Order: sequence, then C-alpha cells, then structure tokens
Amino acid sequence: MLFWIIAAVLTLGASLAVLLPLTRQTRARDDASHDLEVYRDQLGEVDRDAARGLIAAADAEQARAEIARRIIRLDAENAREPKKASQLGPRLVGMIAVLAVPLLSWGVYTAIGSPTVPSQPLSARLSQKPADSSVDELIARAEAHLVANPSDGRGWDVLAPVYLRIGRANDAVTAYRNAIRILGSTTARQAGLGEAIAAAAGGIVTSDARLAFEAALKLEPADAKARYFLALALAQEGKISDAAAAWRLLAASLPADSPWRAATEQAIAQAEVRTAPVKEAAGAPAPSQDDIDAAASMSSGDRTAMIEGMVATLDEKLRQNPRDPEGWVRLVRSYQVLGKTDLAQDALGRAYAALGRDSEDGRKLTELAGSLGLDVTE
Amino acid sequence: MTRKQKRLSVIAGALAFLGAATALTFYALGQKASYFYMPADLQTATLQPGQRIRLGGLVENGSILRGQGTQVEFGVTDSEKTVKVRYTGILPDLFREGQGVITEGSFGPDGEFIADSVLAKHDENYMPKEVADSLKAKGVWQETTQ
Amino acid sequence: MVETGHFALILAFALSLVQSLVPLYGAYKGDTRLMAVGGPVTVTGFALIALSFAALTMAYVQSDFSVANVWENSHSLQPLIYKFTGTWGNHEGSMLLWVLILSFFGALVAAFGSNLPATLRANVLAVQGWIGTAFLLFILITSNPFARLVPAPIEGKDLNPILQDIGLAVHPPLLYLGYVGFSVCFSFAVAALIEGRIDAAWARWVRPWTLAAWVFLTGGIAMGSYWAYYELGWGGFWFWDPVENASFMPWLAGTALLHSAIVMEKRSALKIWTLLLAILTFSLSLLGTFLVRSGVLTSVHSFASDPSRGVFILCILTLFIGGSLALFAFRASQLAAGGIFHPISREGALVLNNLFLTTATATVLIGTLYPLVVEALFGDKISVGEPFFNLTFGPLMIPLLVVVPFGPLLAWKRGDVFAVAQRLMFAFGAALLAVLVTYLFIDGASVFAALGAGLSAWLVLGALTDLALKAGIGNVAPRMALRRFVGLPRSVFGTAIAHLGLGLTLLGIVGVLSFEKEAILVMKPGQVVEISDYRLRFDGLTPVRGPNFTEDQGHFSLLGINGQPSDVIMSSKRFYPVRQMPTTEAGIKTMWLSQLYISLGDEAGDGSVVVRVWWKPLVTLIWGGSLVMMLGGFVSLLDRRLRVGAPARRKSAAKPAAVTP
Repeated sequence: MLFWIIAAVLTLGASLAVLLPLTRQTRARDDASHDLEVYRDQLGEVDRDAARGLIAAADAEQARAEIARRIIRLDAENAREPKKASQLGPRLVGMIAVLAVPLLSWGVYTAIGSPTVPSQPLSARLSQKPADSSVDELIARAEAHLVANPSDGRGWDVLAPVYLRIGRANDAVTAYRNAIRILGSTTARQAGLGEAIAAAAGGIVTSDARLAFEAALKLEPADAKARYFLALALAQEGKISDAAAAWRLLAASLPADSPWRAATEQAIAQAEVRTAPVKEAAGAPAPSQDDIDAAASMSSGDRTAMIEGMVATLDEKLRQNPRDPEGWVRLVRSYQVLGKTDLAQDALGRAYAALGRDSEDGRKLTELAGSLGLDVTE
Repeated sequence: MTRKQKRLSVIAGALAFLGAATALTFYALGQKASYFYMPADLQTATLQPGQRIRLGGLVENGSILRGQGTQVEFGVTDSEKTVKVRYTGILPDLFREGQGVITEGSFGPDGEFIADSVLAKHDENYMPKEVADSLKAKGVWQETTQ
Repeated sequence: MVETGHFALILAFALSLVQSLVPLYGAYKGDTRLMAVGGPVTVTGFALIALSFAALTMAYVQSDFSVANVWENSHSLQPLIYKFTGTWGNHEGSMLLWVLILSFFGALVAAFGSNLPATLRANVLAVQGWIGTAFLLFILITSNPFARLVPAPIEGKDLNPILQDIGLAVHPPLLYLGYVGFSVCFSFAVAALIEGRIDAAWARWVRPWTLAAWVFLTGGIAMGSYWAYYELGWGGFWFWDPVENASFMPWLAGTALLHSAIVMEKRSALKIWTLLLAILTFSLSLLGTFLVRSGVLTSVHSFASDPSRGVFILCILTLFIGGSLALFAFRASQLAAGGIFHPISREGALVLNNLFLTTATATVLIGTLYPLVVEALFGDKISVGEPFFNLTFGPLMIPLLVVVPFGPLLAWKRGDVFAVAQRLMFAFGAALLAVLVTYLFIDGASVFAALGAGLSAWLVLGALTDLALKAGIGNVAPRMALRRFVGLPRSVFGTAIAHLGLGLTLLGIVGVLSFEKEAILVMKPGQVVEISDYRLRFDGLTPVRGPNFTEDQGHFSLLGINGQPSDVIMSSKRFYPVRQMPTTEAGIKTMWLSQLYISLGDEAGDGSVVVRVWWKPLVTLIWGGSLVMMLGGFVSLLDRRLRVGAPARRKSAAKPAAVTP
C-alpha cells in the first residue's frame, strides 16, 4: 500500500513538472541581447588585461575593434523575423505531454514491475521469527553467527547434522571437524564426520571416513552407525561375506527399536543376494524371491535413502551439465555400489556420449567400469 | 607569396602530414598486427621464422612441466593438435589445466613456441573470447546451459 | 524501496521522453511555455533517477538478494565498502550510473542556463533528453537492474574479486563524469546545428564543460591505469587494451576540443571545426561505451555479454553519431565562419595541436577497430597491440610535445616564432643539459632515454618559462613582477600547470620504460634478492583469512646497509571461494617517486614461491603528472571568465548603442 502511495505522489510531482511551466506566462527575451552581454563582458576582459599589462596597448585596441565588429554584425542579424506562435498545436502538445507522464509510467510499470515483491534486506530476513523462516534462512543465520564467532563449537555441532540432511556434505565435514576441534571428540561427532565424508564422496566410505568411524568405535565400541558404515566399507571393497557377517553381528546386537535395524537388515538382504551363487555352492538355501521383496519393502532406511537421494541429485546435475568427468566417475561408481548395475550401465553410456569414448576421460571411465565389472564393450 | 598561395601551402602541408600518418598507420598494421591461431590452424598457415603470433587454445591436461626456476612448459591444444609452449615468468592467476589461454610470441628453431606473454583473461566462463569462438566453431566446447 | 526505485526509473523515462520532444517543438514553434517545460522536467528527471540509484544502492548495502542484480554481484560477507561500490561494479548498475550522471549534467544546464537564449536552452535540453531516453530505454529493455527473484536466494554470488578494490570505487564514476560531460558539448553543438546559428554564448559554455569533462576523464583514466597496475599484478601501467583505448580516444579528442574551444572563445574562429570536434568527442565516448558494454571486446569490463544489448547499443550509436554527423553535413555550410589568422600565431599553434591530436585519435581508433573489421570481413582473428601503437602513436606525439611550449607564448592572430624561440632559450639549454646528464651520468641510459628525459625537462621548463615571462620576471622590478604574477588570469596558470603535468607524466613513462629493473626467481624463506640498490629478503608465507577470501601473505623485508630489516613489504595471493577465483595483491613500497613492486606466483611444495620483483623508477610521476594535469584543468575552470553560464544580465542590455565604441 505504502508503495502505491509513494508511486502516486511521485507521478503527481512529475506531472506537475510538466504542467506548471505550461500554465505560467513567460516573456521571451530577444536572443541578441544574450550575445551582446557576452561581447560586453569580453570588452571588459580586454580592458582588464590591458590595465594589468598582459596584452600590449595595440593588441588591446585591435581586440576591441574586433569585438565591436561582432556587435555590429549582431545588429544586422537581429533583424531576423520573430516567429509567430500559433495557438492550437502547442496547446495540444502540452496536453499530450501532461497526460503521457502518468499513462506511460503506470503502463510500463504494470508490464515490467513487481509491485507485490517486498524489499528483503538480508538482516531483516535473518531476524524474523524462526517459525517464519525457511530452513535455508535458518542455516544462513547460523552461518552468520559462526562467521562472527567461529570458535562456538556448539554452533558447529548443531549445524553439522543439518548440513548433512540437506545434502551439503562438504560443509558438514567442515562443521564436524570444527566441532571436534573445539569441543573434543565424541562418538556421535566422529561417526557423523565419517558419514559426512562418505556422503561427500558420493556414498563411498573412503579411508578418511573409515578413520573417523574407527575413532568413534574406540570411544564407544557398540556404536551402530560406525559399525554399519565400516561393514559397508568392507562391502565396497568387495568383501561381501565379511560385510554381511559384520552386519549380522550388528543386527543381532541392535535393540528392536533402533533406527539402524531397517537399514542393516536391508543391507544384509542385499549382501545375500550378491553372494547367492557362492552360498548355493555351499549348499545354503538361496533367499526366496519373497525374502528379497520383503527386504525391499522393509522401508529403505534413512541413511540409504539419503545416499540414494544424493546420487539422484548428482545424476540430475550431470544431465544438465554433462561435461564433468569426475561427476561421471562418481555416478557410475555410486550406482554400482548401490547395486543398481543397470543404472550404472546407463550412466556409463551417457558419460561416453558426453565426454567421448576415446577421450582421456572416456578411457579413464572405461578403466573404472572394467574394474567395477560393468560391460564396456561397444 | 600572396595570401592565397600561403593558404594553399598550409593546406598542402596538412594534407601531406595526414597522408604520411595514414601511410605509417597502414604500414604499422601490416607489420605489427599479430594473427591469432589455434594449434590446428598452424598446418595451413605460412609463418615467417620469428613472426609474432597469438596462439590460443586449452591448456592440455597433465602437460604443465615446471623447469628450472620460473621456466614452465605446457601444451596448448584445440583437441586436434597440440603445440608445446615454453614460457618464463609468472603465470596468470587463472592459468590452470583445461582452461583457455592465449599466448603471444613466436616459434623457436626447435619448433617450440616461445611465449613472452600468457593471458588467461576470462569472461564468466573463464574462456577468452577468441578461444571460445574457435572451439565452438570446431564443436569441441559448448557453453554450459544455465 | 526497491520497487519505488524501479517505478522512479520508469517515471524518469516518461519524463525524458517529454524532455526530448516538448521543448524542441516549442523552440520550433516559438512557444515560450513549451520551451519552459524543459527546465523543470530535466531537474525532476534527475531527482527521480537519483532516487532510483539510491534504491539500488540501498539494496546492495542491505544485501537484498531478491534483486537479481544484487544477487549476481554481491555477497553478505563482502566488506561494506564493496557492497556499496558493487552498485556500479556490474553492467546494469554502471549503466544506471551513466544515466544518473547524464541527468545530473542536464539538470545543471537547466539550473544554470537561465541566462541562455530560450530557444538554445530548449534545444540543448531536448538533445540531452534524446540521449537520456535512448539509454533509459536500453536499461529498461535489456539491462534492468531492478529485476526481481522470487523466492529470494539466501546468499549472493559475490562481486568479481578483482573489482573488490578501492580503485574501482573511484574509476567508473570519474570516467563517466568525463564521458558524459562531453554530452553537454554535444548537445550544444547539435542545438546550434538545429538553430542554424552559433550563439556567442555557445563558445562561453562549451569551454568550461569541456574542461570539467576533461578533468574528470583524465582522473578516470589515470585511476584505471593505476588500478590495473597494482591489481592485476603485471606491473604495467598501460596495455593498449581496446578497453583502455576506448577511454583514451575521447580523451585525445576532448583535449583537441579543449584547445580549439579556446580559439573559438577568444577569436571567434574555428567555430565549425569546434562544433564537429564536440560531436566527434561525444561520439567517441559513445563508441567507448559500446565497445566496453556490448561484449565485443574481452576484458574485465565486459561483465556479461548479451547479443541483444550489443545490437541495441549499436543502434543508439548509429542513431546519434550518424544523425549528428548528417545534421552537421546538412547545416554546416549555413553557419557563419569565424575570424581569420596567420598560420604562425597562437591560433595556428592550436590548429597544429588539433591536427596532431585528431590524427593520433584516428590511429588509436584504427588500431582498436581494425581487428573487429578484419574479423567481420575475413574471419581472421588478429590483435593489434603495443608494437603498432609505439610505431604510430609515438611519432605523432613526439613532435606535438616538442612544440607545446611554443603555443602559449605565441601572440594571437600573428606571431613571431623566432622571438618566442629566443625567449625559450633558457628552457632549451636546460633540456639539452638534461639530455647530456642523463646520457653520461646514469648507468644504462640509452639515447632514447636521454632524449625522453630532455623532452620532459623541455615541457616542464617551457611551462615555467611561460609563467615567468607573463609575470615579467626579469623585465620589471621584483615587486611588480610578483604583483603581476599573482594577478595573472587563472587560465594562464591552468595552461602552465597542465603542460607541466604532461611533462611529469612523460618523465615517469621514460623512467619506467628505460630504467626499470626486473627479477623473476624462485625464493625460499630467508633468501635475499638484490634489485637496483635494494636487498630484499623473503620471510615466508602465512595464510590469513579475510572476510570473504583467504590469502597467503608473502612477507618481505627490505634490508638496510647493515643487513637489518628496515622495512616490511607484504604481497599476497588471494582466493575468493564464492567465485572460485584467485587474485594477486601486489606488494608495493613507494620510495620518493619510485616504487618496489612485488608480485607472487605459484607456490612450490617446499615453502618456496615464484616471486617477481620490479624496481620502477619515477613510476609515480605517471599518475602524479596526471593529477597535476587535472589540477591545471581545475585552476583554469576557476577562471572567473570561465564560470558556467552567460555573464550576468545588465539593465542596459537593451541599449546596444551605448557600448559600441
């Protein structure tokens, strides 16, 4: 509302700037009188210069004569016909001009303005009630606070899991590291750090991540998250049966209501599928199709969903910007690690299309795909 | 000399001056303008030994070799051909593998390009305009759609 | 507030449309009321654009990322000063600044032009209105700084790091004050063409406006040059980069205009030529804007290239340059030619100045546009750089500089070169001495360096000789001479100071080009490098965290004779994470007029780093001389006779017979 009032006042002011001069009667001065004043001034100047001795008396005389000649010429020009003002045209033009200002400005503004969008200074956005803020704004507030007080470990501690949840894995790593540095190492922080590192690596439990999980286990040998991920690391190294064994141990020790139960059981199920032929040979009963379905329907656990979500994001990003060799490497590897061979194969195909199969990046991809057991024949 | 002759001689002087300036300008354009080439263009180009040119392209991945002190060698490529460039000095801030660069200098007797200046000027895509145009023409590089 | 700014801008556009048409029609019809509309409309338009600019600045300072322009060019962690200067550190904002300055000058004409003939004033304001309308339309259609983002992002993309510098805070506004200042001269010229007569007042107006614009442009170019010198880390002060040329061409043409305006004012000669120069100078300013803004050229200035903008600016360019030149061709023959003069005279010297300066402008223009033309016609990509300009621009400038001291000493109308040469004997002798001293006593001085030093001394002493002679020092009693010296017109001081500044700038250029020393080496902590007479020790790198960047600071100690550090120099490499961009912050130590310049290169693994050190003798004179030139222009502007506006009205004005001698 205030905006419309201001806009109206501005329009009124602008229209008046056009209207007022039109209503006032002004008398035109003869053009020649201006020139004359200029010449008179020049004469005075010559006199002053001569008096100061800047120009010789003869030069001064010459200059005066020249100016006088110009004044005479002026008188001759002065005889020009003054134009007669006609009445109708100017009135009409004046009226159109006065009307044009509000019409044009409001018309154009309606077409291209955004009157409903309020100003949003950052400080105001950051100080509004938390309930009214989006998650992004809350995070920005916390970040602003941490920039001012970078040694507030509690702040980092709170922010770290939030980062992880919204997929800013790299920031989560930094936040966890800061929290550990300032507040000291705890199981939760170490395990969180490991998870963040793994998330940043596209779901791969890297050696850094493993170090963090091991540190967590040193503090609390029963920590479910650390044990889960360390088992996952084994699986990613190809030691499926070891991994499955570790998960089974974990599953056995988990309380019934543990949030890790679902994820662990699903992991066990997947591991069993992948090791099935081996087990058949050993005479162990293969899991029935029902078992697999059951495992799949056992709600994909929080963590798996998160990793899958991130892989999907990466996939989407690569669809938009396919010239990212590292991204492709991560995507292909992630799909294969998640056990989605067909998707990995598909990603590999798209990567070839984007990067060229024979380019250096293409060859790197082929190497990787071969090591992951994907089909690399053309 | 009459007044008319004087005026004519002044005008003639001015015209002679302008003529000399024009001649000098075009001579200088012929001599001092340096042409821009991509590595693949060099096969068809006829270069006098020691002629200064600008060579543009992408810094080849993994080609940067730091030698003694501040000497550095790198490959400039347009994905068809690669030219080895030798340069002594400080590389620009934005010089990295895979980025577009323009180097200016001439070919040495051993076929290496001796650059005396390396530019990694940039627009928002970190790509010198000449390089971007040429790469686009070759279909090697597409602008990221955003 | 943001939307208020947007609305004010649109309203200003509507007003500028009125400003371009109504006074013009009024002048044509002889209707005083329509003509009178020009003044208030211009002033109101300026107020509205100022409001709009304030709104954008506010959005920047408050980090309002709902404004797309702010989001693209700012960041909440940026220091406040760069949030502020970021307003014009981008395409849209800088165009708004352009229009703001244009409307400001229009408002000045409206406010101080009450003594101008009504039709001239109306026409001038109308022409200003055309320019304003064209640029406002350009802003609203292709580069609206008030485009909004819904929902607003939480963080901005940061200002280009190399623009996060105090030099940038000053460079564009100064440059634009210069560029756009010439628009007033242009408007007066076109108004004169429309009316078909050149008023005596025109000569009075065009000179102060040219002077003011020239002072600002000089400052803008010098600032830009110094900024490039310390911010890009290459240690060069001028690169003959097309963007630099774009600002240099209006300066050259403006300098020519400045001198021909003197002839026009004093002697009523060269009227038509001055008119043409005024049109050309502003045309070159427009061309500069086009080259820089359209993205035809690659440089730090081409913030974003959008083809539609290029086409739009090209249209503006064609319309204004083509239109005004066509009008000139059509009308020039109707204008009364001015007085006559002997070739050897002050006028003659000024014409010579114009001949050289316009030819130099033409060579720079050709050198700048040639690559564009060749690419358009033949598809070849070429670049025209320093070697071309050294070969063409240099030979043109040297004779001009040689004759500079003669000009102010020649008499109007008919002069005597030999008499002037005699009076300059002292300066000539001293300059010759400077050549010999430089050549014989300074190590490594080339003939070129010696002659350059001599030419600088010639310019400086020639300017001082001019002042001394005009004050009559040596001819009259010292007290009398002092009185005359104090009483000299300001414009005489202005001329001498500006020519002196030119000499100083030349000396700086010669100093750097001839005696610069450079060392590039890999330095380990504790290592010492000797350059010129200085010993510099590298003390190591320390990482530092800035508000929106991280940097590795390299510390260097300047060692005294006893090996003890006498001073510390810091040079650093910065990294701006938001844009993922590194920059070099040169370490500069000014010693008297010279500088030690240190720039850091890549780091090797073992704590050693590539270091480039320059000893730049007399380098500060390059910009110091420009400041002196600006001072000269400013002093000249203070001359009572040059005050903006026609002289005060007098009661007796109606009786011309009274003053005719």
